[in-house]
Amino acid sequence: MFFVKYLRRELHRRMRQAIFIALGLAIGIGLVITVIGASSGVKAAQDKVLRALYGIGTDVTVTTNLKPLSGPPKSGAPRCNPAGSGAGRVAVINGKCYTSGTVDFLVPGYGPMSAASIASIARLHDVAAAAGGLDLTDNRVDLSASSIGPPTSFTVDGTDIKNSTLGPLSDATLTKGRSFTAADADSDVAVVDSGYATSNNLKVGSTTLIGGAKFKVIGIVSQPEASSPPDFYIPLARAQALSTNPATGKSFAGQVDTIYVTAGNAADIAAVQHEIGHLLPSATITTSSGLASELTGSASSAAKLAGALGKWLAALVLIVAFAVASLLTIAATTRRVPEFGTLKAIGWRSSRIVGQVLGESVTTGILGGALGVGLGFAGVAIIDKIAPKLSEALPSSSGAGQLQQTTAGPGGVVNGPAGAAASHATVSVPMSASVTIGAIVLAVVLAIAGGLLAGTFGGWRAARLRPAAALARVG
Amino acid sequence: MNIDINDTDPATPLYRLSKVDKTYRKNGRAILAVRDIDLSIRQGEWLAIQGKTGHGKTTLLQLLGGLDRPTAGSIKFAGHDLAVAPEARVRKVRAGSFGFIFQTFNLVPTLTAHENVEAALIPLGVHHAQRHKRVKEALDSVGLADRAQHLPAELSGGQQQRVAIARALVKQPRVLLADEPTGNLDEDTRNEIIGLLEGLWRERRLTLVLVSHDSQVVKRAQRIGLMSRGRLSIRIDTRAP
Repeated sequence: MFFVKYLRRELHRRMRQAIFIALGLAIGIGLVITVIGASSGVKAAQDKVLRALYGIGTDVTVTTNLKPLSGPPKSGAPRCNPAGSGAGRVAVINGKCYTSGTVDFLVPGYGPMSAASIASIARLHDVAAAAGGLDLTDNRVDLSASSIGPPTSFTVDGTDIKNSTLGPLSDATLTKGRSFTAADADSDVAVVDSGYATSNNLKVGSTTLIGGAKFKVIGIVSQPEASSPPDFYIPLARAQALSTNPATGKSFAGQVDTIYVTAGNAADIAAVQHEIGHLLPSATITTSSGLASELTGSASSAAKLAGALGKWLAALVLIVAFAVASLLTIAATTRRVPEFGTLKAIGWRSSRIVGQVLGESVTTGILGGALGVGLGFAGVAIIDKIAPKLSEALPSSSGAGQLQQTTAGPGGVVNGPAGAAASHATVSVPMSASVTIGAIVLAVVLAIAGGLLAGTFGGWRAARLRPAAALARVG
Repeated sequence: MNIDINDTDPATPLYRLSKVDKTYRKNGRAILAVRDIDLSIRQGEWLAIQGKTGHGKTTLLQLLGGLDRPTAGSIKFAGHDLAVAPEARVRKVRAGSFGFIFQTFNLVPTLTAHENVEAALIPLGVHHAQRHKRVKEALDSVGLADRAQHLPAELSGGQQQRVAIARALVKQPRVLLADEPTGNLDEDTRNEIIGLLEGLWRERRLTLVLVSHDSQVVKRAQRIGLMSRGRLSIRIDTRAP
């Protein structure tokens, strides 16, 4: 075909310039792809963190603030009689007296809500499902130690085993043993996180103390990397019975401290948030996007950097590449004005001449796009290889709770420190960037757009002249 | 004998120019390149226009070829007024009726001789096979059949001008418009080219309008006009009455 022949010959004649233009476009397009890849990689990593926090399928979480302990620990003589206990230690913990052994307390991270609230929320118009849970910390104080320090602790999730699609366990993968069945509702059985199991030498069949009760390990699960999962999962009913409300000293029977909610569809999330707010005015209602905004750490900073600065930089480079391509094309077509004047003189339409120029510049653009995709893949691969481990600070869904203790030994009463209450957990976020199909499609579109832009300017300039004016530029 | 003539010969004029002016603007100044031209050109005649550089010869040729439009007056060609016809119609007339030959050959450097000639048939929508046949015949008629696949850079000046002539003739035009066709050629090649043009003119009964400052070239024409400061005067007319 004459058009293709002419195009090929012309690009061959101006090969260096064509390659230069293509490279310029490639750099711009490659940068756009790399930024998109990095941005989506950080977002995917953050999504993993969020999913692990509240599990797959949770759109909204409902909590309330835990009321602080009222007043300082009781001072003065403890209820227990230290004098008759010899060399033993005496501890008053949450108003109760302990003289020996290991004291084990399950305390919540959030304030109590009636379990009936779950049914009320589930009945709301835009809600697809709701389930409750208890987000607990087991604090252990060893009275036989020579000095009583802050408690050791691990995290426990009281899991509603009738609603397995909601809550932290929903995102876990069973690696050994079994998960909960309906028959386990009131049993002292536990599923352990694989990381905790390995660190503490726990296997299926092992027993462990949780909240002062002996639990049997029935299964081991793993959660996605970069999540901060609970160490143990136990049936909700048992968690309710064993946990203690620090404000009242009573158990959490009939209560939960977290409600997980799934909306009918993504568009309903805001409405669900609003409806729950009416139902439970004092509750804290968090959506996934709201939680995302609470995340802090280098992963969030990287997300902002890729999202804002990265995109602006890529856009700027692309604009410069387009501008250079246009200017070079205009320069090339200016040199060819006498040639185009001759073609017009022998009867070629202006549109045909513009089409010829457009064809040449779009071909160069497509070459630039192909190179840009290659550069994008390379950029993403480099990020994958050299990107530092990012970290994310999660607002605590597994608070250490509050613990008030008073101990007394020989020499009098000692008011001990309250248990440490962590408000954030930092997890490392492995980032992997990837080239998406969308990015490749965008690259092709940008390449063609770049070629069209350059060719339109150049071709228009060349074709608008009368033949006589174009020919006057000969010699 | 110099005759300032209002040529009103009614015998089948192919062209009829009436009070044609062309003014250019250059550096803010108006330059009257062609002034008050009245001219008729018959079908099949050979008109040569001589004159010094800058006196309007090329401008007149461009107006005859529809490459530019006059500032005033009319240029009637085969029923079309090229001065006021829409650009699309002028382009069609150029594509089908006019063949151009330029001083600097004006071949597309990236196309072979064959493709350069073929370029003239593209606007006419001629089918590929038919194009190929006609191009071959055109190159044959100028003696360059064996150079069809050569690029212009691989041809001598005379050969390039032959390719340009073939390009002008391949569309079987009614008018051949040649602007200093031998201006860039040596004497021998000049004679060769002008001989070729004359032969083709006779053979195909073309209407040939040729612009040149070279007396050796223009003397072969039937009618010789002189452009002086934009005005045309017919000096010699050897056409049959």
